[in-house]
Amino acid sequence: MSTAHPEVPGDPTQMGTAILEKTTAAIQGFGPTNKIHQHLCAFHFYSDDMSRQVEAHHFCGHQNEEMRQCLIYNSSEADARLIGIEYIISEELFMTLPDEEKPLWHTHEFEVKSGVLFMPGIPGPIERQDLEKVCKTYGKTIHFWQIDRGDNLPVGLPQIMMALTRDGQLYPNLAQDVEERYGISFEKERENRAYMMGPEKGIHPLANAAGKGLKTNLRETECKPVDAVPRVFV
Amino acid sequence: MCPTYLTALCHHITRACPRGPSLTHHDLHLRVSLSSYKTMASENEIDSKRTLHTVSMASSDKSPGPTPDYDGQKPPGEPMTMHQHILDKGAALMQSLKPIKQMKQHVCTFALYSHDMSRQIETHHYVTRLNQDFLQCAVYDTDDSNGRLIGVEYIVSDKIFESLPLEEQKLWHSHAYEIKSGLWAYPRVPEVIVTAKPELELENLAKSYGKFWCTWQVDRGDRLPLGAPALMMSPQGVNLGMVRPDLVQKRDRKYNISTEDMKKVRTEIEEPEWINPQADYWKQHGKGFAIDVEPTEMKKIAPFP
Repeated sequence: MSTAHPEVPGDPTQMGTAILEKTTAAIQGFGPTNKIHQHLCAFHFYSDDMSRQVEAHHFCGHQNEEMRQCLIYNSSEADARLIGIEYIISEELFMTLPDEEKPLWHTHEFEVKSGVLFMPGIPGPIERQDLEKVCKTYGKTIHFWQIDRGDNLPVGLPQIMMALTRDGQLYPNLAQDVEERYGISFEKERENRAYMMGPEKGIHPLANAAGKGLKTNLRETECKPVDAVPRVFV
Repeated sequence: MCPTYLTALCHHITRACPRGPSLTHHDLHLRVSLSSYKTMASENEIDSKRTLHTVSMASSDKSPGPTPDYDGQKPPGEPMTMHQHILDKGAALMQSLKPIKQMKQHVCTFALYSHDMSRQIETHHYVTRLNQDFLQCAVYDTDDSNGRLIGVEYIVSDKIFESLPLEEQKLWHSHAYEIKSGLWAYPRVPEVIVTAKPELELENLAKSYGKFWCTWQVDRGDRLPLGAPALMMSPQGVNLGMVRPDLVQKRDRKYNISTEDMKKVRTEIEEPEWINPQADYWKQHGKGFAIDVEPTEMKKIAPFP
């Protein structure tokens, strides 16, 4: 139930490998990842099981004013495990999604207004300027590594995740753990954020899995028979 | 302290964007208003039957429903406002973003959709090493700063791969061909550095296996990340696994490299003695994989939504 830090099997990184990586890090370009400018901390739970909750550290970059793309890690330390991805879009963009797609997205209104979603290290007044916007957005979160069940490797299928939508869902000990580590109070922040507003048109009824749960399943598909494909390569 | 910080930030941004408006502290003044929650607007009329009972399936191998046509290649959405740039800049100054700083390599390579291997994409992996046997990669569709985040790939040594259950191994692909053929490239890094013996980077990678989930199918024209995640496969030296030459040429031209030349340099790299037949599942079994997202009963500990 608590956020696990899986012990990944394998030998420690060799000196030669580390040196090579220092070199590549210095020479190469990191265009897309240089745009990652924000760290957001929040909680996710599995879309088929609210009792499995994960502390999620989002590292986000803006595609434009209305869309962010985030890498999700299990911590904010250097050895953090990359466990998932989240896309965050404005209400306007959300409304353009096909109806079959909308249930895979969740709202951020409650998380932001309750104080539970926050930006570590950023002073409140500044944080709130951004979170006012986040409050109106929708997110699509997929996790690939189920650290909460003790997996020390990213096995299994991708999991659609949901976000908190009301009081009583988040485990108090998870909340307390984060509050202590970051020296913050969700209750206090909730008061500061009372003025914030969610989506202009209200929370779309198809969002948040349309109020049900979601599950991912694997299905085999037919390939063209390997030998039957005539390919000519000049 | 805060107002001083904001003033300093205004100056910083104004200097950095000489053609933009000059900003004052006033522009960043916090808006405080007391308003209550907005309840669901009555104009948001959705058929109640539909909301409660019909959550349709999303599948990685089915095209999503229509979204509006957008001009040009850019993802939909307004350009970033100055205000957002400032907030972003501020955050970047105050937060340490440690996991992102651990990305030490950029790899350009190719991948194929496991449910339709005729769909092939150029990928850009930003790689973080957790230990000698494990890598985690954020994958983008280009290396431009506006690259779209299209998925995640995990790479493990053969030692770790062999420890995985059979059912899990089916989801992974091998890297030997991809490396030896020169398809797997390190833009801007002289090949001699990558193939240098002591580091054994490519030799170890040639024995590794990867698991790659694609969350944004940009090649089918999706303007936003739609549908279920798709499982990807790696290039292989036979039929369905062969990457189209035009894709490779386009990549080579952009980076001024030659995949053919890299292949020659890499002939010395040892082939793995054995590639596990559970990997590259399509090769032995003629089957790909799709992911379906289906409605289910959510196990709850409190009311939802």
